[in-house]
Amino acid sequence: MLWADGHGLDARALARKTLQLIRDRGTTDARAAVAGTPVAAELAVVFGVVGERGVAVVAPGTDRAFTALFPIEALDPAPRLAPLLAALGITTCGDLAALSHESVEVRLGAEGVALWRLARADDRRLIFSPAPRELPHASLDWTDYALKDPERLLFSINALLTRVCGALMADGRGAHELTLTFSLTDRGTHLELLRASRPTANQRTWVRLVRAVLERIRLPAAVTGVALHASRVAARDAQQGDLFDRGFTTTGAAEDAVARIIEDQGEHAVVAPDNSAHPLLDERTTWTPRSPRSPQAAHTGGEVREARPACAAPAALTLQLSPVPRAITVETAPRRDHMMPVRYRDGGEWHDIAQAAGPDRVSGGAWDPDHLHAREYFRCVTREGVLVWLFRDANAGAWYLHGWWD
Amino acid sequence: MASSVAALRALIEQRFPDAVPITRGIARPVASGIPEMDRALPKGGFPLGRLSVCAPHGGITAILRAACRNATRDGERAAWVDAGRTIAGAFWNDAALLVRPATLSHAVRAASELLHAGGFRLVVLAGAELAAPQVARLVRAAHEGGGAFVLLTEHSSMAALRLSARIAPEAYRWDHDPFGGPAHVRDVQLDIHVRALGWNARARFPLPVQSHELRLALESGLADRRGLPRTRLRAP
Repeated sequence: MLWADGHGLDARALARKTLQLIRDRGTTDARAAVAGTPVAAELAVVFGVVGERGVAVVAPGTDRAFTALFPIEALDPAPRLAPLLAALGITTCGDLAALSHESVEVRLGAEGVALWRLARADDRRLIFSPAPRELPHASLDWTDYALKDPERLLFSINALLTRVCGALMADGRGAHELTLTFSLTDRGTHLELLRASRPTANQRTWVRLVRAVLERIRLPAAVTGVALHASRVAARDAQQGDLFDRGFTTTGAAEDAVARIIEDQGEHAVVAPDNSAHPLLDERTTWTPRSPRSPQAAHTGGEVREARPACAAPAALTLQLSPVPRAITVETAPRRDHMMPVRYRDGGEWHDIAQAAGPDRVSGGAWDPDHLHAREYFRCVTREGVLVWLFRDANAGAWYLHGWWD
Repeated sequence: MASSVAALRALIEQRFPDAVPITRGIARPVASGIPEMDRALPKGGFPLGRLSVCAPHGGITAILRAACRNATRDGERAAWVDAGRTIAGAFWNDAALLVRPATLSHAVRAASELLHAGGFRLVVLAGAELAAPQVARLVRAAHEGGGAFVLLTEHSSMAALRLSARIAPEAYRWDHDPFGGPAHVRDVQLDIHVRALGWNARARFPLPVQSHELRLALESGLADRRGLPRTRLRAP
């Protein structure tokens, strides 16, 4: 038996042409039937009366009435059901279809229910799987010149992204992966895969990824064409949340703002500290870039909104560090076994020190001459009420302002 | 007379809502989370959609970081633009977004983006002395985005709220060493002065001083065992 999907087509003409093709190949007794459901078409082609040009047609909307006329054996019931159906006096499909679902289920079980559905022309078989939708794509070719400039390439790719992202957005989908294909003057092609951390149709996000690729790659020849194809798509994340939760509703805008900052100033503009155990505070921290959707941010859908801390730290004065320890001039006075600062000059201005705690001595790096350090730290309160952090470099004998508490 | 003044004020508030002093605004401001501080702020917090100016030092950073934490605790977002690059990474465990721009213009652009987006309830710009046009740009962005904008600077003519803090040298409370000298700062008393149109308030409250946890080991890989008690062996 050959099945043909006539949805959206002239099914009768399709059946006639298909029948003619089969007959032209030598099968002269072939038959065809057209119906709205597979079971009605099957019954029509096997048992039905062949109509014009060897095609039996079941009028639309009459599948159930058509099926009801056939004996129940036409549906090929399971051997277990045959005596049960006979005992119930069911001889035609119409007799079975007239029963209720519950009564069939109680008397005949799951197999009986399946048979009952077929008797009612309620055929749930998927003869044909749904046709896959074409994924968005766009391309651009030029013949009069060849491009090598990344900015001009980005301009062209941006135009393609407008079409692809527009198509994705219209479908309510986002792309996980885009395939960028460069056609080159040496008749070759170069493929680049762009991947986003989550399905998105945001053009700005993809432009950022394209720019990163163009900064990285080295093409062997000039470009004569570009093609962009969405190779993996998914439904866009639809997070459940409270519309009255302002943080939830503004997630997209916040992420876009952070993404623009990163595009404008580089990935090291938005950072988080990564701290080691180094004894020197100015060498303890490495600043690592954060993406707009870094895992630290556990907002609904947004990597910008931060997770609520389990217990928020109370307000306190914390140490602020000068980007580089600032050389200062210090006047000292003797105190026990050390020299204590009594005033210092920073930026041409003298600051008197009211109280000084210390020294806290830090030394190390003895095995690495480049990192040898020996410092005496003092916590000093100035007459202006600022708690500053001074240190004396014991190797060089110089004084520095390292930070202050604020 | 009083009723006509009240009627006139109501009419002005209706026709020009942005011209209303922040003490009469209806939007819930950004609280600092410090009760004494919030009582001194009009409507209990930093106004939304407006510029607040805080003079640097005096514990202002602690107050603003508390406000950022308070905002994120409420499920909102906060951002800190560290133009001066003075935030010590070892003491930054806040939930707020930290931006470290390389130049002053980058700082202005970053703050403008964050304010304009409307997704950040509080944006703090620290370590930048801005020209008037730059401040105007940021004030406009704050107004459009609806978030609170706080600028740490000595001078600004466009602020809806001005805040200054002062710590007297004798306001530090010390733990003392065996010689009677200062050893460790326990806490400090802050004197706060808040001014806005139709508002003038002061507050005084203590804040702890976070230890800088200086590691005093000779090498970074070695534990510092100085000061640990010695175990005594019992005589048989």
